[in-house]
Amino acid sequence: MADILAAAAFLILAITLLALLRVLRSRVLAERMMALQLLGTGGTAVLLLLGAASGSPAVIDVALLLTLFAAFACVAFALGMAEPAAETDPAKEQP
Amino acid sequence: MMLLFDIALVAGLLTLAVHVVREPDERSAIIAFLAFGLLLGLAWIRLAAPDVALTEIAIGGGGTGILLLRAEAAVRGRGKHEESVTRPGKLAIAVGCAAISAGLGLAVLSFASPAPTLAPAAAEGLSATGLGNPVTAVLLAYRALDTLLEKVVVLLALIGVWSLAPDAAWGGVPAVRSGEIPQPLAYLARILPPFGVVIGVYMFWVGADAPGGTFQAGTVLAAMWLLVMLAGLRSPPETAGLPLRLALAGGPILFLAIAFLGFAFADGFLAYPKALAKPLILAIEAALTLSVAAALAMLVAGPARRAPTR
Repeated sequence: MADILAAAAFLILAITLLALLRVLRSRVLAERMMALQLLGTGGTAVLLLLGAASGSPAVIDVALLLTLFAAFACVAFALGMAEPAAETDPAKEQP
Repeated sequence: MMLLFDIALVAGLLTLAVHVVREPDERSAIIAFLAFGLLLGLAWIRLAAPDVALTEIAIGGGGTGILLLRAEAAVRGRGKHEESVTRPGKLAIAVGCAAISAGLGLAVLSFASPAPTLAPAAAEGLSATGLGNPVTAVLLAYRALDTLLEKVVVLLALIGVWSLAPDAAWGGVPAVRSGEIPQPLAYLARILPPFGVVIGVYMFWVGADAPGGTFQAGTVLAAMWLLVMLAGLRSPPETAGLPLRLALAGGPILFLAIAFLGFAFADGFLAYPKALAKPLILAIEAALTLSVAAALAMLVAGPARRAPTR
């Protein structure tokens, strides 16, 4: 059983890596950002399979954190789109 | 099968690293670097170091990326100055970096095998601390002095960042929020933090008995706070504000206080009374988690930009 899980993990890793490298070469910034989301889902799947194959529950916590930070990385996209971080206008600031 | 997996992982990491270096556009390079940080987490899992994997994902995938992107946004538009490094200069840098990598590789390969280890001794003393995670025992019991100094260094780094504030703005509010907030970002900043805070508290609590702990939990909480500030849902606190200063200094102060109490109630500096070891360690960890979260968030937020409202 562990062998099958490890094989599945390898397959998903290989596919994720190939897709990752292709998406990172895209000309559109939004698509490059999607590379991180791809790694979020693919990496989580790989980790869960590895955790099940090796029987270590700690790996599941790592998968949890990976999901959270892949979502958080969306902020990077929003930051990248925004204009240079100029001085914020005090009038527009919320109280 | 695992050999095949490892080869694919290492090949992916190397390709991604080369991509980061070769990418001419800074923002794309930073995004690829974020992906590299997340992927590196997988490598640490394969090396059976889940504690390091958690830290790498949290810092490499969260903190560093946002820090770099904010730095890039700050220098962008300040005049597109021409390439300052010439081609031979670049070549020299590349050769230097390659030499360092090769040296490190040689050093790792020349380690004694099996490596000298203190792991059995660390596992033996584990019951005295009441902890289940040997990494936490090393960080907060065996080598607590290192951890204490490490947390103080984070504060020193923050003071370094704050000191870049103009005189008029000293003690004021950092500028975190960028001009226009995209709708999806505001939405994410409402949806993600509740989950993130629960995961952060879980990371802190589970750290006593399983991989996790202060630094990982602090990073998660810092990321969630930053998300809220970046989306403009809450403005950042004044850097001179008492609650913020208390949160920042609270962890190291409690750590130091308990360390000195060790003279009176245990064997000496940084020694815990045996019966109270675990509650004390948990108290220190809780305070340190808050301090780390506040310090990391403020490090990314940067120096004060607007004068305090006093």
